[in-house]
Amino acid sequence: MATQDKRLPPQPLRSVGRSLLLTLPIAVWSLLMFGHFWQPDRSAQIASVTTAVFMIALFFMMMRTSRTYRWRRWFFVALGLLFPVGFIHQVIAMRGTMGIPIEEMIAGRTPFCYIPIPMLILPAALMKTVVFPGSIRPHGGMSGGGMAAMAGIWLAMTLVIGKGWCSYACFFGGIEEGMASVPPKAKVRKIDPRWRYGPWAVLLVMVLMSLALFEPAYCMWLCPFKAVSEYVAARNTVGTVQNGIFVLLFATLVIALPLLTKKRTQCAFFCPFGAFQSIFNKTSIFDVKIDRSRCTPCVLCQKSCPTLSLTDESIVKGETLMSCMKCGACVDACPKDAAVWHIKGTEVAVKPERARLMFLYAAWAMAIMFGGSIIAEGLQTILHVFI
Amino acid sequence: MTTRAKLGYTAAGLTVFATLLVPFVLYGAFTKGFAGLGLHVDEMYSGGPKVRTIQAAGYSIDIHRPVSPHMLQHEKPFVQLDWRPVGALPPHVSDLVDVDGDGQPDIRVSFDVPKDPKAPLRVNVEPLNPRYQAMRNVGKPQFSELIVRVDDAILVRVPLAQQ
Amino acid sequence: MLNSSPMGPTSLFGEAMALGLASGPACVASCGPVLVPSSLAEGAGLRLNVRYLSAFLGMRFLGYLVFAALAWEVGTLLSVAPTARSLVFGTVHILLAGVLLWYAYAAGRICTHACAGSELVTIGPSGKRGVPGAAVLGFLTGVSLCPPFVAAAVRVAELGSLAAALFFFTVFFVGTSVWFVPFVGLGYVRRNEAVTTVARMAMVLVAFYYAYLGLMMLVGRSAYGYPR
Repeated sequence: MATQDKRLPPQPLRSVGRSLLLTLPIAVWSLLMFGHFWQPDRSAQIASVTTAVFMIALFFMMMRTSRTYRWRRWFFVALGLLFPVGFIHQVIAMRGTMGIPIEEMIAGRTPFCYIPIPMLILPAALMKTVVFPGSIRPHGGMSGGGMAAMAGIWLAMTLVIGKGWCSYACFFGGIEEGMASVPPKAKVRKIDPRWRYGPWAVLLVMVLMSLALFEPAYCMWLCPFKAVSEYVAARNTVGTVQNGIFVLLFATLVIALPLLTKKRTQCAFFCPFGAFQSIFNKTSIFDVKIDRSRCTPCVLCQKSCPTLSLTDESIVKGETLMSCMKCGACVDACPKDAAVWHIKGTEVAVKPERARLMFLYAAWAMAIMFGGSIIAEGLQTILHVFI
Repeated sequence: MTTRAKLGYTAAGLTVFATLLVPFVLYGAFTKGFAGLGLHVDEMYSGGPKVRTIQAAGYSIDIHRPVSPHMLQHEKPFVQLDWRPVGALPPHVSDLVDVDGDGQPDIRVSFDVPKDPKAPLRVNVEPLNPRYQAMRNVGKPQFSELIVRVDDAILVRVPLAQQ
Repeated sequence: MLNSSPMGPTSLFGEAMALGLASGPACVASCGPVLVPSSLAEGAGLRLNVRYLSAFLGMRFLGYLVFAALAWEVGTLLSVAPTARSLVFGTVHILLAGVLLWYAYAAGRICTHACAGSELVTIGPSGKRGVPGAAVLGFLTGVSLCPPFVAAAVRVAELGSLAAALFFFTVFFVGTSVWFVPFVGLGYVRRNEAVTTVARMAMVLVAFYYAYLGLMMLVGRSAYGYPR
């Protein structure tokens, strides 16, 4: 019984007028965000307008179709592809190479991304020391707004969207989400669910090693995304080996395995930052629930989840695991409308669309503010070639 | 509607409201907060605070506080010296430096200053005080033993002899 | 330079305790990557965790004493030829890696759900003939050279008698072990499939790192390839 696909008739489309009305706040927000950072440069203007229209259009489609995942994925993949374009261009323009020379590290001009945040907490708390070769405040070059600014934006956005960061802000996850969406069917379907504990193991080890070695251990040894951003310029054989490790991890976890499994394998099985962000699912007011009275269970939600955040046990309990990224895949896949968006404290499946809307307003606003600016920058880089 | 549901909706509404505050209030506030925590970047990277300046002919040598490795860092203890401004340095620098400020020279540091700012640098350090290690034609192999150009200064890190 | 004239027991005690307490954080940092995952892989319960910690620290103490005696015998650890030193410690690190892998495998044989096992995870033959993994790990971390250990060994080498050396290391050990007391709290962590799987995976990752470190020591290099 569980395997019969008893799909309901397709969800009726919301009216254009009502969809436009619901999209209006997002359109105003886009105007505010892109207008606030308006530049005189023509390619920047075209990029900003294009990005704003793109984000507004995607939100409109989310409202019109009452579906989330498919439209969010367009944004996320665009972010994953365009971030490296803008970033690598900036890096090469500023210092001529993707490799970070030791001079830049000594000068405190290593750009800081959010991934090392959990590994820096213990040394900072115990010895007031930031074990990262960056600058707390802006310091020229690639230091950007400084580490305090990245930590500030991370905290502000995490308070609002929690682990939704991994679906609406992370500028790396879109690469593997794009890879995972390429094949029509997964070649590897059976995955031992215990692999989903991997990120926690990596987090535990990296936190301990960062304290012991007093360095950002994940950045130095394991981060696969150095392949699409920057890496420590190798000064000896060990440096070359370190760089080989991240290339291998990128090729495996971000390209090959998503193609084979149609899952976000780096996120689901490896990313220590994702494990850390999972903690904020406990504090977030939004979550995804399974209405047991409607669930058959056909486990289509489980199969559609890109991060294995639904198990047989959790479906019986009517909930997702802590690793849920709020991407909306399970909700969209459920033929019985049993998987629903939910606000903690409220009854499950009573006005789920209200919960979805409230979450999406928060998440999409953050996506426009943060990811949108990155997409615009990437587009601007490309446009500069022609304009 | 139950009280719990009312609270839930209130919290959700506040979250959406907080979203509006992120770029205009929260981001700035949290950034200031983190910057005001009194944290500092590990001295293995930053070189430690400057403690003294020695004036030479047209340029100066900044001496930093010695830096010791923390926990299990794979580096040696070192002291950083900065020659600045680079434009005022002679083509070949060979300076006796009193590092610890006791009036006696501790090391002789010698390096060429190439015209091309991107040209690799090499340094020789001859210790006159056994507290400092010798350096022979050293480039930039590691954080605790190097010569590099950073902006308008040439930085030399001299390892301290292991105790 | 520290003088080698005989010191009274009181001042020796004070010096060793001060050094131990000051070195504690570094000891915890160096043992933490081994201690935390392996402790989490054990069964739940405060009592079992205390047994685990006792086995770990007890054998670490034995490792310390072995080295105390050696340090006093050879004059100073640092006067041993670097290649010989690197060989010994490289081998210890590789052994540590092997034990961690074995431990990770053996931990899979015990109850992994929310039950409080009464026996420590053993390596080697299963059941009572096996050796508690905690003991082996404790001994191997005890004989691994870490900076606080070097400081204590240098001091010990200058003492007048083997008895003084052993006394100094015993007090130094007590000073560092104070910092391990909070790890008893790991016994309160609920054990389930998630915790034990994470712990086992973490042990494998740490094992890889220690194996790498050991290999680098064997070729006379640090983790980043600098000459030792």
